[in-house]
Amino acid sequence: MEYLIGIQGPDFVLVAADNVAASSIIQMKHDYDKMFKLSEKILLLCVGEAGDTVQFAEYIQKNVQLYKMRNGYELSPSAAANFTRKNLADYLRSRTPYHVNLLLAGYDDADGPGLFYMDYLSSLAKAPFAAHGYGAFLTLSILDRDYKPDLTREEAMNILRKCVEELNKRFILNLHSFNVRLIDKDGIHDMEKLTVGAK
Amino acid sequence: MIVSKMALASVLSSECADFSLDFRQPFGFNCGPGQSGADCDAAPGDSVSFSVKNPMLAGDDDGVERKIEFLHGTTTLAFKFEHGVIVAVDSRATAGSYIASQTVKKVIEINPYLLGTMAGGAADCSFWERLLARQCRIYELRNKERISVAAASKLLANMVYQYKGMGLSMGTMVCGWDKRGPGLYYVDSEGNRVCGDLFAVGSGSMYAYGVMDSGLRQDLTVDEACELGRRAIYQATFRDAYSGGQVNLYHVHSGGWTRISQEDVLMLHQKYKDQA
Amino acid sequence: MLSAQNFGESGKMKEYHYAGPTEHRFSPYAFNGGTVLAVAGEDFAIVASDTRLSEGYSIHSRDSPKCYKLTDTTVLGCSGFHGDCLTLTKIIDARLKMYKHSNNKTMTSGAIAAMLSTILYSRRFFPYYVYNIIGGLDEQGKGAVYSFDPVGSYQRDTYKAGGSASAMLQPLLDNQIGFKNMEGVEHVPLTKDKAVQLVKDVFVSAAERDVYTGDALRICIVTKEGIEEQNIPLRKD
Repeated sequence: MEYLIGIQGPDFVLVAADNVAASSIIQMKHDYDKMFKLSEKILLLCVGEAGDTVQFAEYIQKNVQLYKMRNGYELSPSAAANFTRKNLADYLRSRTPYHVNLLLAGYDDADGPGLFYMDYLSSLAKAPFAAHGYGAFLTLSILDRDYKPDLTREEAMNILRKCVEELNKRFILNLHSFNVRLIDKDGIHDMEKLTVGAK
Repeated sequence: MIVSKMALASVLSSECADFSLDFRQPFGFNCGPGQSGADCDAAPGDSVSFSVKNPMLAGDDDGVERKIEFLHGTTTLAFKFEHGVIVAVDSRATAGSYIASQTVKKVIEINPYLLGTMAGGAADCSFWERLLARQCRIYELRNKERISVAAASKLLANMVYQYKGMGLSMGTMVCGWDKRGPGLYYVDSEGNRVCGDLFAVGSGSMYAYGVMDSGLRQDLTVDEACELGRRAIYQATFRDAYSGGQVNLYHVHSGGWTRISQEDVLMLHQKYKDQA
Repeated sequence: MLSAQNFGESGKMKEYHYAGPTEHRFSPYAFNGGTVLAVAGEDFAIVASDTRLSEGYSIHSRDSPKCYKLTDTTVLGCSGFHGDCLTLTKIIDARLKMYKHSNNKTMTSGAIAAMLSTILYSRRFFPYYVYNIIGGLDEQGKGAVYSFDPVGSYQRDTYKAGGSASAMLQPLLDNQIGFKNMEGVEHVPLTKDKAVQLVKDVFVSAAERDVYTGDALRICIVTKEGIEEQNIPLRKD
């Protein structure tokens, strides 16, 4: 039911996540933030099993912060992604696997922007754009159709808007608001929330 | 501060520690009936009097567990407004279709400024919130200040998260007042912990949400808010067969919580009928 | 098609054929029936139980009361799985002795109730299949009843029935002691004699309609003078 999306541009990554916290059929919260700030320029977007999401994301978050304290410099996005994947993979073979699907987005001063797709079976892929949840079925084709590597920030926002509109047109469940954040060389920027329809 | 061991085991091991010293092996009750060769998950000689799910019962949660299970239907709600938090609950406990009790206290008084509510397994809620009360008191003694609602709810969420998937059943709202003002968190045994302005939990929660969503405003007076909470629970008991008994109301404000009222649903029914 | 016919109607092979792995799951629980009841008055408490021990269609014993005297002011009623009842009461007895030796006083009813709750919850994932009701006097000498579920949830009541015929006894008590949902009734306080008579009546009624309740009734009356016991015969069929 949940939805995550990330779009990478030449010098930025744009990410969005829905704002619903649900328990069975009830929406408990309409302004829930599914993004975790791992460092100045890395965001982790997390959906999946209740409880696992926050527990796993905070565990990764604290470890990435600990790494910076110990070593005096931060993990790069790809290092953070591989660290996260390794943890997820180790837990997958334990008695308590974490059932979480992730997107990791960041900006590295050397390598530029990076977007990583991870699922609960601990596969990892670097992708120019990615999405999680049922909404991904509807929106990946839009991304395939409209994505180009040199898109501008405005074009990325337009694609994102198209995706959200499509969700509201075809998806049975009501996801009416989305957190949007953009990461570039200056760090993480909160963008205006995407809201659709009433409320 | 976060309990490193499995909290239940750590509590009970301290409770039974001197016990096992005296009667180590001859009385095998620390390991339960499983010791007679039938094999129990707890390692032999392990004095922790907490048996993990028995392999014989694994995958058979529905058999014995369901037969023994207690108190499932319920309606509880809590909401924030300008003057604090209102907590309203029903008082019915059911075992299957039998009403086991009409006088359950589903608001658990953790300490003078923290309340917890009870939905799901009655024993699970009361046990873990009792343990939370202990943790909160320890925090207070160590830090010389009251624990925040956020921290208290996280303690609870972390404790029950360790038992995820083992069959705990608990949906609770932790309500209180701290430096940041009114606090309201929903915590359940699935591992959810969310902050919010309005929650309803239990089989009658949908009915309560209906009334609440159409009447909740930030600028309600205390009396109006109490009446709204009372009405929401009443309407839930009216529609949901598993909710009923009395309506218990609490108000959490800057000075802690106060108990507002306890009214029988039968009386409320009469009152609302006369008003209409 | 041809071979399927050989397996008979149910599709199973005959017994002398190897029929693949069969599963026999061992259940560590049984239900031995029995009903317990406790009533609290102003200065007394009554705990009563029948004395039948049964399993399925057969009656194992006609003299197995489910009232356990814990202290001079506390009696525990225990029904459900008899094995767990015995284990549990033995544990409680041991804990009471330990408490007495380390604190030089006996536990109050309220303290025993709190302890029983944690003992029951310690088996949360492999529960004692026991329905407990404690009757006794509190620190003020007033009658107290505490009722439990198998995993340790408890509350104080004035009267409570538990076990196989609880759903038959409780409504009658609601009417006769609680005066529930009645208008214009005088709420007279319960006297000891009235309570004892009521307990006898409700058990006679339960023995009439519940197969797991009968044979005899054991009543323990707790007052500050001590615990008085009575035995009353019930239907034995």
